[in-house]
Amino acid sequence: MRNKILTVDDSKTVRIIVRKAFKSYDCEILEASNGVEGLAVAAKEMPDLILLDITMPVMDGVEMLTRLKADPQLKGIPVMMLTAEGGKDNVLKIAKIGIRDYIVKPFKEELLLEKAGRIIELKPLSDAPSKVRSIFDAANILVVEDKPAIVQQIQAGLKHTPWAVHGVSTQGEAMDSWTKTPPDLIMISLSLPEDAAFTLFRLIRSNVKTKYTPVFGLVVKTEAGPLQQAQTVGFTTVITKPIDMGELESKIAKAMNLDTSLRYFKLESDILVMRLPENCTPPVLAEISNYLKPKLAEAVDAGNNKAVIDVHPLKSVHMGVIKILMQAMVTCRELGVQFALVGNTQLIAECKGFEDTRNWVFHDTLENAKASLGAAKPAEAAPALASA
Amino acid sequence: MPATQEISELLIRSNIARAVGDVFKTMLSRDAEPGITVGDGVNSSWPPIPVDGDAIPQVVGTVGFIGDVNGLIYLYLPLPFAIAATSHLLGMTPAELEEAGDEVVNDAIGEITNMTVGSFKNGLCDAGYPCKLTIPSILRGSNFSIEPISSVNRFIYSFETSGHKIVADILLKSGE
Repeated sequence: MRNKILTVDDSKTVRIIVRKAFKSYDCEILEASNGVEGLAVAAKEMPDLILLDITMPVMDGVEMLTRLKADPQLKGIPVMMLTAEGGKDNVLKIAKIGIRDYIVKPFKEELLLEKAGRIIELKPLSDAPSKVRSIFDAANILVVEDKPAIVQQIQAGLKHTPWAVHGVSTQGEAMDSWTKTPPDLIMISLSLPEDAAFTLFRLIRSNVKTKYTPVFGLVVKTEAGPLQQAQTVGFTTVITKPIDMGELESKIAKAMNLDTSLRYFKLESDILVMRLPENCTPPVLAEISNYLKPKLAEAVDAGNNKAVIDVHPLKSVHMGVIKILMQAMVTCRELGVQFALVGNTQLIAECKGFEDTRNWVFHDTLENAKASLGAAKPAEAAPALASA
Repeated sequence: MPATQEISELLIRSNIARAVGDVFKTMLSRDAEPGITVGDGVNSSWPPIPVDGDAIPQVVGTVGFIGDVNGLIYLYLPLPFAIAATSHLLGMTPAELEEAGDEVVNDAIGEITNMTVGSFKNGLCDAGYPCKLTIPSILRGSNFSIEPISSVNRFIYSFETSGHKIVADILLKSGE
């Protein structure tokens, strides 16, 4: 359920700053300009948090707080003071009436969010609900690792992606870094001295800006203790060293909930091209299999009922590849999509060796395959052209 | 009630420098460097009388404090700076501010003054002079002067920020 935050301040400026601070979070901001209005809104809306100024006309914050705490219906609402009144005696006097926290103006939006986040659940709004982030979008990855060689390996291994990998070696540097630029994903070496990885993890989860950021642990496979501890406390996943870059990339994409379909499916001149990569590992095939039907259905829905299945980057055929190709052809037939296959000499020769694949007909180039689709009848078997 | 004379000029100067510095840094992301002390006597006046109407229009925020020590502070901001500060504080473009009118700038400068005076007087509270803030008000113009009555001690400090000169004019009521 959406949190309601009531800001009670006679300054419209402060109310705007509060609204601005929470705009990226799923919460409703209610406003009142003095204590009388504040009590009325609180009784009507039952907010989850009240941010309360002290010096206000009509009824000041201290009186509003006293009345709120005397009302059995309202006394449970947490109140955080947000005021320029900050002398020690004043703060102590108000604290005795019953408040959850106290911010003395001037204040940074970050501090307000951090303190509010300790009282209520602040869920970030997705940047653009209608647009899913894709594998080709930029992202910031923070690596907290005291061994420079590992940072360099990760940077080199992810060089071909649009992700910026920033390495730091200490807890302090990590905190500075995520305060300046909140990362999209954080990797922490579990072998940092003095259990720093787990201290950092707690800090990440208690900070409103990084509360939901995926956190990976980095550890040598034989270090069972830290590995188990990381899984227990809730690290998103643990990557073992030596790092398999393909696996790391795939896990990053999954953790950041990226749409990876563009790696395999692309619309080219009204024809959907499904391209298998050179290295068709089981995770890759599983990913393609998940996207297959939705992508073909999406193409048909948009009026594009032709597809090319391009396997020419592959060096050899194995059972996983055969299965995905059969699944693709069956799905095309189900959806009434004309299709053509593109392969290389090696693949075509290998396909001749299997009972299920020996009758498959391949084109030698993408252009030939596309050209063939113009003359073919819909939903029939693969158009005849080149066969080894 | 302690006599206001007990409060040293050093305490006032250090408190106002800290307050202006903190508020400008935190809320406006600007440094405010202390400049010269314009005057610290009963007969000082600010702003100086304009010559041929060429004075820069000022937006002046005022907030008082009452308690064991009583007084008020005028914070003078040149209009162009007041507009830039409001724009930063609210995340509005100058065109949006223009459309929103003077009210928005007045409210923002009122709040900046409230925070500055609050921070100043919190320092006095912690030094043993408990007092509370009053509600802010705003004065605008380019041709006016403020002249205190004789029972008031006056301290005027200037600050430089982003090429603008701002002034804190502090009036303290003499203790009984």
